[in-house]
Amino acid sequence: MVSRDEVMAALAPVPGPDGRTPLPESGAVCGVTIRDGKVFAAIAIDPARAKAMEPMRARAEAAIRAISGVAGAVVTLTAESARAAAGAPPAHGHETDAQPRRHGRSSEPLPGVKHVIAVASGKGGVGKSTVACNLAVGLVKLGLAVGVLDADLFGPSMPKLFGIGAKPSLAADGQKLVPLESCGVKIMSIGFLIEEGAPVIWRGPMVMSALNQLLREVEWGELDVLVVDMPPGTGDTQLTMAQNAPLAGAVIVSTPQDLALIDARRGIAMFGQVKVPLIGVVENMSYFLCPHCGERTDVFSHGGARKEAEKLGVPFLGEVPLDTAIRAHSDDGRPVVASMPESPQANALLEIARRVADTLVVGAPGAKPAPRIRVL
Amino acid sequence: MFWPTDITAMERGRVLEVAFDDGRTIRLTAERLRVESPSAEVQGHSPSQKRTVTGKERVAIVGVEPIGNYAVKIIFDDGHDTGIYTWEYLRKLAT
Repeated sequence: MVSRDEVMAALAPVPGPDGRTPLPESGAVCGVTIRDGKVFAAIAIDPARAKAMEPMRARAEAAIRAISGVAGAVVTLTAESARAAAGAPPAHGHETDAQPRRHGRSSEPLPGVKHVIAVASGKGGVGKSTVACNLAVGLVKLGLAVGVLDADLFGPSMPKLFGIGAKPSLAADGQKLVPLESCGVKIMSIGFLIEEGAPVIWRGPMVMSALNQLLREVEWGELDVLVVDMPPGTGDTQLTMAQNAPLAGAVIVSTPQDLALIDARRGIAMFGQVKVPLIGVVENMSYFLCPHCGERTDVFSHGGARKEAEKLGVPFLGEVPLDTAIRAHSDDGRPVVASMPESPQANALLEIARRVADTLVVGAPGAKPAPRIRVL
Repeated sequence: MFWPTDITAMERGRVLEVAFDDGRTIRLTAERLRVESPSAEVQGHSPSQKRTVTGKERVAIVGVEPIGNYAVKIIFDDGHDTGIYTWEYLRKLAT
């Protein structure tokens, strides 16, 4: 039976990632697993130097294979974790000033992106994605550079809403994905990367990692606003976005009915807890105008979201009717704000975009500047 | 509602000073922050799981990173870096 100590001893003659320090002392060896005489290990390296590290990997693998009793060895290179990068813990703060430790997650501003806003609701099916899509197109009409991040990994709607069936290409740097464009909006969605109808079946950590990639490993370029279409609920995605994206504010979408408003309240309360200011509340499916007789029906009641916003002291951004044209154009991938710009439906959505844009100029109500953080 | 304006690790990482916009400034030792870390590694998932962390008299803060708009993550020189300190929590520790 091979032991971990034997493996480490065998690695002693192999110089680590810096080319000098023996691997066992470099702190870069991680995840040593021994099973049925087979040894698996990983070496943490700077991903930019992956090619240069290949000979080291091969030497390590050969060294382990040479141990008697080892049936096989697999050594892989893995992206350096912050802890491995720092090596032994520093004695005190001064030593780290020059080299701040990099951690995978960060809520540093996105370079080039001025404002990140979330479009959210407590409940599913209230038209959040449709509002987010048309809000983005509306913001483009107002002359802003706009991106949409589809954060609904389990039910991505943006490919359909924007009528995009293509796959994103890799940027020139070979690292980032180039967002796809429609109606002047740059869009990134997990839906571009999987087959339509294929399910994403992931636990929380996968969700967090995928969201970070969609947020940070995409070539957004210069954007005035990045609209994040959130999934329903108050779970992993919402928390990940609240922690990792510098959110300038949130737009809450709800139907007027009590059942939806209960969840909208939860969404509002969640953003309150993580100190994301509210830009305002949109009442979707606010009323129905019969295309045949013109009579108005308040299918989901009416005015509930406005009343709720008033009660909570949150701005009310507008009402969007329950409307066949909006539904049909959404299913066709032609957002109404772009395809029927003169229609009352488009105007309602454009007016919401105008209020959102105005809010971003002065900052959402209650928004406060980030504290200055220093390590002396 | 109070809001922090300045968060400063000082005295070789032994002290964290937080200035709030209501004019109050609090000072917390690294030891206190480490021992009372809100991380599940310390607090567990229920009060009965709470661990008493000892031997951290000499611990120092080596990094402070923003978490969204509502908290900071404090990185200590013993490798502990999973505590997310909300503005309210920092303030609560000072009382």
